[in-house]
Amino acid sequence: MVELRDVSFSYDGEKDVTDRVSLSLRGGEHLVLLGKNGSGKSTVARMFNGRLRPRSGRVLLDGADVTAAPRPVLSRATGYVRQDPLSQVVSDLCRDEVAFGPRNLGLSPHEVRERVREALEACGIAELAPRLTGELSGGQQQLLALAGVLAMRPAHLVLDEADSHLDQATRTRLRGVVRALVARGVAVLEIAHSGEALVDATRVAVLEGGALLWEGPPEAFLRDDRALEASGLAEDLIAAAFARAVRDGIDLARAASPEGLAPYAGSRVPRRAADGDAHTLRARGVELSYGDRAALRGAELASRGLTLLLGASGSGKTTLARVLSGVLDPDAGTATLDGTAVRPGMVGLSFQRPEDQLFCETVIDDVAFGPRAAGAGEERALAAARDALARLGLGEELLERSPFSLSGGQMRRAALAGVLALRPGAYVFDEPTAGLDAPGRAGLVRFVRGLADEGAAVVVITHDAGEWLDAADEVAFLGNGRVLGTVPAAMARRDPALFEAAGLEPPLLVRAACAGSPAVPSGGRAHARS
Amino acid sequence: MRGREVLGAYVAGDTLAHRLDARVKIVLLILATVAVFAADAPWGLLLAAAGLVAALVASRTSPTLVVRGLRPAALILAFSVLANAVVLVGQPGLSLDGLSRSALAVARIALLVGFALTLSSTTMPTEVATALSWLMAPLSRVGVPVGGISTATSIALRFIPITATELERIRAAQRARGARQDGGALEVLAGWRRVLVPLVVALFRRADDLAEAMADRCYTGEQTSMARPLRPVDWVALALGLAWVLAAALL
Repeated sequence: MVELRDVSFSYDGEKDVTDRVSLSLRGGEHLVLLGKNGSGKSTVARMFNGRLRPRSGRVLLDGADVTAAPRPVLSRATGYVRQDPLSQVVSDLCRDEVAFGPRNLGLSPHEVRERVREALEACGIAELAPRLTGELSGGQQQLLALAGVLAMRPAHLVLDEADSHLDQATRTRLRGVVRALVARGVAVLEIAHSGEALVDATRVAVLEGGALLWEGPPEAFLRDDRALEASGLAEDLIAAAFARAVRDGIDLARAASPEGLAPYAGSRVPRRAADGDAHTLRARGVELSYGDRAALRGAELASRGLTLLLGASGSGKTTLARVLSGVLDPDAGTATLDGTAVRPGMVGLSFQRPEDQLFCETVIDDVAFGPRAAGAGEERALAAARDALARLGLGEELLERSPFSLSGGQMRRAALAGVLALRPGAYVFDEPTAGLDAPGRAGLVRFVRGLADEGAAVVVITHDAGEWLDAADEVAFLGNGRVLGTVPAAMARRDPALFEAAGLEPPLLVRAACAGSPAVPSGGRAHARS
Repeated sequence: MRGREVLGAYVAGDTLAHRLDARVKIVLLILATVAVFAADAPWGLLLAAAGLVAALVASRTSPTLVVRGLRPAALILAFSVLANAVVLVGQPGLSLDGLSRSALAVARIALLVGFALTLSSTTMPTEVATALSWLMAPLSRVGVPVGGISTATSIALRFIPITATELERIRAAQRARGARQDGGALEVLAGWRRVLVPLVVALFRRADDLAEAMADRCYTGEQTSMARPLRPVDWVALALGLAWVLAAALL
């Protein structure tokens, strides 16, 4: 057991980011730690594994005071898995990667090999042992990162939004591994931004502004408006559906099944069709190979309004996004916007990490870069930049700052402003909501929907279909370099078979909607359209 | 950026050369270097060349890989052959002596490139790093942080493709906003500056995260060595290699 008693922590020695937090983590429990971005969740979690030391207060490991103990004492007792597998994987052979931790513990070579085998099996990826880490999908890499931590046999495990970049199928696998660990007596602390985490929780704690606001069982959490609001999950679709179910007296385990959730999984916003003057972004017979590996084999897509592009890892989503935005020339086929071949600058392209998109010395220069490069006069470029920044709610005081000195949320908005300032007729968003908290995701979905309502053709690539289905007009399923089919979002919302046909696990809300609707359209027929 | 097979990059496989211990392969490469330069023409050099044929067969590497490996230096090699053949002093003309001397030198270089490519295409970078650190182990007695060097090397190698992916993504984002990466020298330079700023920021952040993740997994620099004892096949390869060098040098 690890206990934090009245711990406060400060990064700069002046302002405390956590304020006298007391929280314990016991063997065999699954504690879900919630709170909005900046509420101090990661700071608290890092005090559990000794990465950060409290400025005041105490840390106890199995009753012994380890506040001032050397770092490895707590690191060894508490494993830590973070969001991005690329920032955790050290080796280029999977087997070596899992051996890294045990080797640091100074175990014998025989013991190290034993631990590697055991950890890979626990994560269900024994067959990956001889593979190169660079060849794995993001999901496989994250399971590998978990195996690397488990090989050290920690008594406690912190999952710091470990599933936020994963597709539904890998999330389900990860949850299965974690359930088995908890059953074996491992203590799990999970930092989460979505309602899915609540299903396996034995206890929930909510942080607000660095202080512990609420603590208790998950059902009680779902009934408590104040706690739900402070956690940010009030804006999470699954958590909101769970809350409605639990308030109707249904227990959480039942609410987490498609049948139990069915009456509560209604969609929020009715979609109107795109207007007559809406733009159309189209891909025709697009083929593209990297060396002798074909990424796209005749992809066809016509996007009007908001189109979700879904597909399993390696299906060619990202490649198609680049072709649609004109930054990658296909080997065959065309990408057009309203009939004109797409050139770079005609379609806004936005990635998950804002750091990839910012490069000028000041925010205003960065946002004005696009209009300037497009040949708009200085005055018009600056006016477009100011418009875009105002629309994203970035104040005048930030305009002369370096974009890299902004907070994460501000940086993200500055990067979006840079894309918006070009006023393109179409946009492509590649995993825009990964890693955001629930209010951030909801805000971004509204923003992107707003672009589509103004007539832009918007393509969103996401592994988080549940989050976007309500806002989308159409859903295109990609598999093996081809668009398998494009269906109205209202149909995809109720038909798990469409997801399965594309090798995807259907989101819980889709399965629930399917269980709730008497007549289910056949996925096979819908796919026949393309 | 289309993925193309990088010259000398590791090619996954299960040949005899892949299965040999990396330490043995490195020692064999050193032996081959000796053999190639100590061998006399024609018989010694022919034996050395037979060694390369054996290495190519054992690794199922195509001879065209060696040709491709020589391509970057082809101009210089051709020039040196010609320069040696042309006699300007005394009685100007072509010297057959010089020609054969320089052709032999080029042949030696070609052999060496072949051996090096065989090693790099059958051995993973981390294996090379681990093997080197094992071979350097005696240096740790005089205070060289061999373990740290080996970890740093293997991480650096692992990050090369990651950096390439990151670079490609940044360029795509910038091109989509109308940034051009072509044009005059100044524009190209400005283009690279725009790309490098976010790339360096991203890499520093990644390095920070990775260091933290390593510390979370109790990394201190000291690690259990996973070196296995050499197997009979490794010893046989070493013995054959040694005999081959001696034969090539003495012939």
